[in-house]
Amino acid sequence: MKKTTWLTILLLLGLHGWVQAQTTPVTGKVSDVKGGALPGVTILVRGTNQGASTNADGTFSIAVADTAALVFSSVGYNPQTIRVARQSVINVTLSENTQALDEVVVTALNVSRERKTLGYSVTEIQGNSLTQARENNVANSLVGKVAGLNVNSTAGGPGSSSNVIIRGVSSLNQTNQPLYVINGVPVESQPSGGAGAATGNNGGQYDNAPDLGDAISNINPDDIETISVLKGAAASALYGYRGKAGVILITTKSAKGNDGLEFNSNYVAEKIYNLTEWQYEYGQGTNNLKPTTAVGAAQVGNSSWGGKLDGSNVIQFDGTTRPYVAQKDNLKNFYRTGNSWTNTLSFSKSFTGGAVRLSASNLSNNSVVPNSGLDRQTFNLAGTFDPFKHLTIDARANYILEQAQNRPILADGAGNANFNVAFLPTSIDVRSLQPGTKADGTELIYNTGNPYNTNPYFAAYNFVNDTRRERLLSSVSARYTFDKGLFIQGRVGRDGYTDRYTNVTPSGTGYLTAGKVIELTTQFTDLNADGLVGRTFKVGEDFTITPNLGTSYRRTKSEAFRNTGTDLAVFGVNTIGNAKNKSTEYFYSDQEIHSVYGSLDLSYKEFLFLTATTRRDWFSTLATPGVDNDLSVTYPAVSGSFVFSELWKPDFLSFGKIRAGFSKVGQATNPYQTQLSYAFLAPTLNGLPLGTISPDNVNIPNRNLLASTATEFEIGTELAFVQNRVRLDLTFYKKRSKNEIVFAPASISSGYQGAVLNAGEMENKGVEMLLTFVPVKTADFTWTSSLNGAYNKNTVLSLAAGQQQSVYATSRSGVGFVGQVVGQPFGQVLAYDYKYNPDGSIATTTNGVPVRGELTSYGTAFHPWTAGWSNDFTFKRINLGVLIDGKFGAKIFSATDYYGTVFGLRKETLVNREGTFGADKVDAATYYSTLANNVSKDFVQNANFIKLRQVTLGYSFPSALFGNHIQRLNLSLVARNLFFISRKTDNIDPEGSYNAFSQGLELGGVPPSRTYGVNLSAKF
Amino acid sequence: MKTVFNKYTTVAFTALLLSSGCTKEFDDINTNPSTYTQSSFDANYLLTTAQLGYTGSSDFAYDTWRANLIYSSTMVQGLSTVVSYWAGDKYLLNEAYTAAYWGGTTVGAYVEQVKPITDMVQFTADKPKYKNLHQVGRIMRALIMERLTDLYGDVPYSQAGQGYYTGVITPKYDKQQEIYADLLKEVEEATAALDPAADIPTGDVYYRGNIDQWKRFGNTLLLRMAMRLTKADAATAQAYATKVQGKTMQSNTDNAFVTHDISGARVTQNRNSQVLLGDGGQENYYVKWSKTFIDYLKNNNDPRLSKIAVTQLYLTDVTKNQNAAANSSAAVQKGMPNGKDLSGRPAYDISAAPDYTTFPDYSSPSPGMIKRNGPTFVLTYAESELLLAEAAQRWGLGSAAQHYSAGVTAASTYLSQYDAALTVAPADVATYLTAHPYSAATGLEMINTQYWALTNTMLDFYESWANWRRSGFPVLTPVVYPNNATNGQIPRRFPYPTTEITSNPDNYRAASAAVPGGDNLSGRVWWDR
Repeated sequence: MKKTTWLTILLLLGLHGWVQAQTTPVTGKVSDVKGGALPGVTILVRGTNQGASTNADGTFSIAVADTAALVFSSVGYNPQTIRVARQSVINVTLSENTQALDEVVVTALNVSRERKTLGYSVTEIQGNSLTQARENNVANSLVGKVAGLNVNSTAGGPGSSSNVIIRGVSSLNQTNQPLYVINGVPVESQPSGGAGAATGNNGGQYDNAPDLGDAISNINPDDIETISVLKGAAASALYGYRGKAGVILITTKSAKGNDGLEFNSNYVAEKIYNLTEWQYEYGQGTNNLKPTTAVGAAQVGNSSWGGKLDGSNVIQFDGTTRPYVAQKDNLKNFYRTGNSWTNTLSFSKSFTGGAVRLSASNLSNNSVVPNSGLDRQTFNLAGTFDPFKHLTIDARANYILEQAQNRPILADGAGNANFNVAFLPTSIDVRSLQPGTKADGTELIYNTGNPYNTNPYFAAYNFVNDTRRERLLSSVSARYTFDKGLFIQGRVGRDGYTDRYTNVTPSGTGYLTAGKVIELTTQFTDLNADGLVGRTFKVGEDFTITPNLGTSYRRTKSEAFRNTGTDLAVFGVNTIGNAKNKSTEYFYSDQEIHSVYGSLDLSYKEFLFLTATTRRDWFSTLATPGVDNDLSVTYPAVSGSFVFSELWKPDFLSFGKIRAGFSKVGQATNPYQTQLSYAFLAPTLNGLPLGTISPDNVNIPNRNLLASTATEFEIGTELAFVQNRVRLDLTFYKKRSKNEIVFAPASISSGYQGAVLNAGEMENKGVEMLLTFVPVKTADFTWTSSLNGAYNKNTVLSLAAGQQQSVYATSRSGVGFVGQVVGQPFGQVLAYDYKYNPDGSIATTTNGVPVRGELTSYGTAFHPWTAGWSNDFTFKRINLGVLIDGKFGAKIFSATDYYGTVFGLRKETLVNREGTFGADKVDAATYYSTLANNVSKDFVQNANFIKLRQVTLGYSFPSALFGNHIQRLNLSLVARNLFFISRKTDNIDPEGSYNAFSQGLELGGVPPSRTYGVNLSAKF
Repeated sequence: MKTVFNKYTTVAFTALLLSSGCTKEFDDINTNPSTYTQSSFDANYLLTTAQLGYTGSSDFAYDTWRANLIYSSTMVQGLSTVVSYWAGDKYLLNEAYTAAYWGGTTVGAYVEQVKPITDMVQFTADKPKYKNLHQVGRIMRALIMERLTDLYGDVPYSQAGQGYYTGVITPKYDKQQEIYADLLKEVEEATAALDPAADIPTGDVYYRGNIDQWKRFGNTLLLRMAMRLTKADAATAQAYATKVQGKTMQSNTDNAFVTHDISGARVTQNRNSQVLLGDGGQENYYVKWSKTFIDYLKNNNDPRLSKIAVTQLYLTDVTKNQNAAANSSAAVQKGMPNGKDLSGRPAYDISAAPDYTTFPDYSSPSPGMIKRNGPTFVLTYAESELLLAEAAQRWGLGSAAQHYSAGVTAASTYLSQYDAALTVAPADVATYLTAHPYSAATGLEMINTQYWALTNTMLDFYESWANWRRSGFPVLTPVVYPNNATNGQIPRRFPYPTTEITSNPDNYRAASAAVPGGDNLSGRVWWDR
């Protein structure tokens, strides 16, 4: 109700306002310098994606605001921008483009620069490519679109986090997520669970929690104008310590030259696909026997080691007798068809001395997981003002309200519907577990042998994992430009959010009868302020020099209260007030960074460009009371570009440039890692305080901690051929991180999980390629094809002294791991091999069960090869877009197959099912489960895949159809994640990691799903 | 243009100076205001945590559930169950469960016991205001390490919990023989150094800082450690047993126990009770006293039987509500045989057991023992006297019969510390002793069987198992269950946790290879040769 009300109000306001009064129909003709008509020229209203194109005779018509500007562009021609200014006929002549690729891109510190001047690789993505077939987490929309950007979504359900890796993993233990900079303001986007208080899934072996999402997922794609990906250190060096993992710059839409009202509506349905192929010959039970009593059936729980499925009537856990037949549709029967409906309305208005854009958006999502979903409202206000000559003020506010209902618990079975549907015995129909509760409201336990395996309906409908986020991203910047070109700019940005997380284990839960409630409130603020002065000097005719100097200040604080209530007094009243025992914990984190930086841009004529930058950061997190550490680190960078086509330009070449860059970046760490501190457990023991070493120091602190550094060298070229119809962008890079701040894993017998050390070295080298070509281009039909590919070779060169191997994540199964091995790429998937006899045969116990051998690494969890191929076909007003992407060369540990083996679900367990093994005649169930625990290498799977990622089919209605009252109306059919063209994993999704921290491990996540629907966008 | 550049230079230097000048506050910013440093913290708080930790994990009795109950209690036939994941009842191997006592990064003995106590010992060293606290810490550390080495054999000891002080993150495994030598030295030295005139350890929940009681505790612990060595090093055992004569616990009031607290939920509630009340499953209904144990009490008309056991406590498998009319009459008590299940197979299904009627007819531990705020016993006078009886029997140190009588008496009378309802009348014990007089000929069996019964009632099955492995008494008949991991023998040791393969590979490999009998449930620790 609410959502539609405000939409209606805004709509009415918009229609009644200035919209019609200020719209002018414009017609005209576009020709080339020789006077020939140019068909297929794109006409865009500047700053929008509203547009038209010329017909075969070069003519066009479009209805636009009279303050708007039209951008005429066509491949191979120089674009032209013309202000409408009440003209009703605009005839344009386009000159052939001899200096292609002079487009402007956003670079560090939000400085717009011509691409040709850059000595490093930048990829820019237009916001409109993210909005048609959209993802709830906009980061997931980037998959396959940028060479060298490796995006992995997680199986965490609605609003879950995304793992974004640029040019390979660059840090052994610190964050590898890029820095997001929204309109110049840096924004942290760690995957969930990073803060001490978070009860989200950290990827720990026993983490029995949902994915609580990340910060980037809050952004509404409709508000994004461009995303600029700064991949290398040369590009991101001005962000210093925050640029090590790359930078993603997001520019949100502003009002400039785009008056009017826009509306976008997107509705998609979502359906899971079932990748499991279990055995369907034997049913629930043990010892090849069907259950004979209800108690017995409940005790054997998830075991599918029963008798042959013969259709006979067999008693089940609830005492009901049902046919003993294969249930192949449990996933289909449990998960529902999800849907997402997003509506965004925005209006823009220019006036003398400024412009304002306001947008409001509502996302309403019902997950495929029953009783789970996400609602998000975003409000975006952007204004630019020129109060007087020379001064420009830009103010933006982005207010986000996000409510997630029942984020699904991942990994283990407790409270996790996914796990319990996935591993139901072959003869149990999931629907027989409905409604999840008994008449008295307690859990209908289907597995008394392991009550931690929760009834999936009880998990979905009775557990609560709700989050609520209220976030305000705001920034103000002012820039004063003197007559001679000197400018001074100041900017203050603040990202603040309040998160509420409610976690209820309801009373009557099988494994926790008395129930438990956690209420967590987190307040986070990140304040960034910076100042910049600069000026361009011209030296003679050919040289320009642009020095810039800046300083910045950052203060990041978070504060959290976690209230835990246990032992609910009144059954079914699942509130913290009803808890008999309550305790409160307090978490605090604070850090400050000071920085100064400068840059010097030199250019000679229009073909030689050089940029040198340096930055120095001082970190509070390196400070140790009583120790005089070096708290700072300096990062120099230099890059250059040479447009050789200015000097040498054979016929086939339209543009040619080579570039090179060298730079250093660095990284510090979280607060409180430099000294040992003490704290208290929340409760007391009969009034006596329970002292403990502070949870800040699960790792041994380091009094002499230093910042880590990474150096990167990159070289690349940009070439265009055949009137720019073929473009190639090629980059090689090599990056070495050293003196890493690592949490070197320790044996827990030391008392600590690890030690904070300056140790370790890692290298990434790789190549990125982007090839864009226009195979067909006629008046009516254009086919544009874009192929991007990247290969990154990561090598862990050293770890902490004496360590050859360090494991950082363990599968819930306990027999699969992800860790570092010296000499191998980051994130090795490790598992146990067979033990081999001296003659090479497999060693077995007297029972004939293979014995556990060495822990062996089987390859990296991070795909070294990534590729995307997009094709856009435009026929008159119809547009078809197809994106295929693939990733290769990685491994994933399938805990699904481990449990499938232990529970007797996997097809492999059919071999000798009713026979015995070894001298002691152990049965198949014992043999296979012992084997699974001893030798786990069979569960390491090849995670290569090729996926049909996205298809969009759109039609753009002619404005004339609506009497030019509507300037633009586009309707598209959209689909994402349609199907795997190729996949090597059995039973699991190769992209199905349950957590961004522990890529390479999976279990109990939401099954993969495809979405399809319709997108409508209109401009009035 | 030159002047412009000069301006820039001035601005740059100013910025640099400002930035670096402000870093003075960084020490404060990087000190968490919600935590404390050694100068602002009282080390006594760590003692409380370590003492509570020794009763089991604050995270849902993690180690108690798996090591004390699922394995130890069933292997020594104190408890019995048909719950399928209670692997110890059938000598099946569940690596995660046998690793639980050692623990992981947040739960278990190393992180919840060794870490705080080792830190406290270091923290208090050479600080006069913590003179006694330091010695109590050394005794506690020895107590904690003893159980770890008893369960696993050679374990990280000398470098354990020292990560912050030494930087060692892969502690070596010390030989159990050397560990025991050092434990004895530590406890002897620390006990001798306790000074009644010095500080009162305020964090002590055993004795509220009573130093005289701590001295008796230290000597009793020394006795227990010494007697653990009767098989492996009888001379050392005798030497220490001789040294402590007359210095051990004097009565049940010297018993060391932790009284739990309901208000702190899982963190402070009684560990055994959380599990046996069915907080995490159906243990309340399906975990029973073992037939072996109940038969022993019943056949000997033991006055404890009607105190520690009841039938009809839970009437259905779904309720957690205790039946107020539970039957504590000794005559109806019936233990459940070990090694049974609900599989429907006649040889193993409990319903096919000869005397099976219904589950509520089997004896459960009485509600008085299983209270959320009930005590966890650590070391008792009754243990002390039975150990002294054995020392007397072996080496003529005093009167075995006298110590036996005192031990058996205390082993009944201490039950009132659980709950007044468990009070055994002294006359009933006297009757029992008259009926079962000490006999030197079967002395070792009598003493150690009594010790087994005592530690079973203390729900300290770690101790029951250790003493059974050392003494061989009582003689237990192993259960026969298919696919067991020990060739049908009662397990003697927990294998090393597989987490050590990844976090401490070199030391793990060496230690694992050195276990006599193999790094499995059948291998043996040094004192169990």
